[in-house]
Amino acid sequence: MSTVPTIDYEKIKGVHKIPLEELYTSGHRTCQGCESATTMRGFIKAAGSRTVVTGATGCMYVANTSYMTTPWIVPWMHTQLGAGGSSAVGMAAGLRALKRKGKIKDEKINVINFSGDLGAGDMGIGGISAALQSDYDLLIIMYDNESAANTDIQATGSTTYGAQTTFTPPGTKHPIMQRRWKKNVAGMLAVGHPTCRYVATACATFPPTDYLNKVRKALSIGGPTFIHTYDPCPKGWDYHPRFSNELGELGIKCGIYPLYEIVEGQIIYTWDARKTGKGRIPVKEFLTKQGRFDHLQEEHFTHIQKMVDEMWEEWEFPGVAPIKGILKARI
Amino acid sequence: MIKRVEVNYRGIFQKNLGKKIGSDIVMIASRMGQRAFSNGRYSDSPERNGIPCKYFAFVSPDLPEEELEAECGAKLEIDEADVSVVLDDTMCKGVEPWGWHGIRPINERVVKDGCLLVVSKKKPEELLKFIGKKPYNYRIAILDGDASLAGLWVNKDDMTHERILGGIAAVDPAIISIEAVESYLMDKTKQKHRAEAARAAYESLRAEAKPPRVKTVTPNDGIDWPHKIPVLPKWFEMQEGAVVPAVKRGFEMGPRGQNRNPGFKRGTTKTQRPAVRFDLCTKCTLCWAECPDECFDPTTDGFYDIEYQYCVGCGKCAEVCPVKECIVMVDELQFEDDHSPWEHWKKDSKEYIAWVEGKKGKERVSYPVVTGKGRTVTQGEVMPEGKIVPVRKTEEVEV
Repeated sequence: MSTVPTIDYEKIKGVHKIPLEELYTSGHRTCQGCESATTMRGFIKAAGSRTVVTGATGCMYVANTSYMTTPWIVPWMHTQLGAGGSSAVGMAAGLRALKRKGKIKDEKINVINFSGDLGAGDMGIGGISAALQSDYDLLIIMYDNESAANTDIQATGSTTYGAQTTFTPPGTKHPIMQRRWKKNVAGMLAVGHPTCRYVATACATFPPTDYLNKVRKALSIGGPTFIHTYDPCPKGWDYHPRFSNELGELGIKCGIYPLYEIVEGQIIYTWDARKTGKGRIPVKEFLTKQGRFDHLQEEHFTHIQKMVDEMWEEWEFPGVAPIKGILKARI
Repeated sequence: MIKRVEVNYRGIFQKNLGKKIGSDIVMIASRMGQRAFSNGRYSDSPERNGIPCKYFAFVSPDLPEEELEAECGAKLEIDEADVSVVLDDTMCKGVEPWGWHGIRPINERVVKDGCLLVVSKKKPEELLKFIGKKPYNYRIAILDGDASLAGLWVNKDDMTHERILGGIAAVDPAIISIEAVESYLMDKTKQKHRAEAARAAYESLRAEAKPPRVKTVTPNDGIDWPHKIPVLPKWFEMQEGAVVPAVKRGFEMGPRGQNRNPGFKRGTTKTQRPAVRFDLCTKCTLCWAECPDECFDPTTDGFYDIEYQYCVGCGKCAEVCPVKECIVMVDELQFEDDHSPWEHWKKDSKEYIAWVEGKKGKERVSYPVVTGKGRTVTQGEVMPEGKIVPVRKTEEVEV
């Protein structure tokens, strides 16, 4: 196990307590209103300066090494599309070896990998699975903008059912070309890695400070940990950049993206529609605010609503794992 | 002979529009018996919302296809343009599409007697307050209209596309003629109003049109370009292993106290900028906390100053601000410099409020959630000093 204990972070109680200094700073080639940039800025604010970051190829890699310049203040390394998990393991192993040999000071250095939904959820899932079984302290953050946004919006396993992408252009006869239901990455990794002590889903801006505290919690708990963030993308989802905030909020409130954390095997819902007294808002309210769903018809909204209802009402662990109980059948 | 057209457009918002203009120039020119082809600027990819990008179209009456392609095809950037189309007039303030490029004048590629064709509601004189000087005469033509912004999937069919084709025919008939534009649009769409829109744009840009919309720009017109063009590092100046030096750590309270990436400022991405009434601010931190471009600087008295050189004008701050009229998005062409608004306010708060209200004007222009679906103009309100009116109650959330 690790030679140095993890950093014991304080909980950020309210927006006024967010650290003021930027360690991921201005001057990056992201879109106007990029929510993934907010996610990136957030995790490094929460983690602090004693951190090294690796990033798999994706939108947020190309945006941040624009022609020999970078907005990073902490060390950051680019790695291949599917190598998010293995780069984090390699980085953590390297740091441990350097400390053991006395080449660097024996202090806690956080290792964070930041990969997209294609990099982490589809292509790099094997490496991330291996990383979550390792004995290193590392955090993998999957920023999910529901497409391969770097190459102008191709569908991935995380794209919402029915969305228009370059791979799934709607036709007049077949309006639904994205026929896959969104992959449940956080749930899958939690279920599949019994020794992983922290898995969470988050959204950079809603509820405020929730995401920053999840990053701090993951780093404090230690071991390999995983956070899946939901990042509205003005380019691919096709909405005006000023609404990035609202779209994330609506996605959570309609229940299509559940917010929870799993600490040592126990689920905590960090935003629960069932407890607000108002219940979930209709999914349609969220979908009609995006140009990528402009072609959907009433029957499709109904279908998506039905799938979301099922997630919350029929799953044994609502929103987390699609297991609907034990079948009582005679053998 | 080769005629070159460049289309300057806002990334993603006008991607489909720019591409359509480029490909239609090719179609029309080939119907006129010329050789032509069109391509996008390679290095603009991946395109980001709002970033200034380019499409090119090349037309030649005499060169065979292979020669035209050899001459123009494999180039990163063209050296000169006979017509330079600008689909959004705020790009007249300069364009910086990527790092190490620098903020360059919009008319950089326009040749002698060439034409800068701008879609705008402004007069040429107003735009020339931002455009750099050229050593020779060229023309500036204004195609009356607002920038047509749409999304990647939802197109906005407001005839800007047809009108630009008509405009190009007016300013340089050797590229495409108005008759060819009309017959092409009729054959392709079978819709008469499209050909008519092109014709109307053509008529509005003719020399005898009233009011005249084409102005000859002499070497005295325009400004001395204030931005330096950086020199790219040579291959032997780069560090081994593709290492890029990080931004040096540095933070202190107050304007420009945060160290930022000096190699890429990208303030030219914005079409609107946030104007702040500090006297209405409740210090809720939301504009700063939700800014995806880290351009708010916390000050010692609890406010948030804006570094406009790095602001890309997404409008998120104005959207999350809980106070009426505190942060408002204002047309970028209202501003001539990027000075710190907080310092201005500290120096003379009364004068600042009058200044900022003057810039804000009466109209508030905003876009609906799905960008391609229009543009709304509402009437703003001048709030008396210090009168805080909440616009939305933030929901109490237990974390």
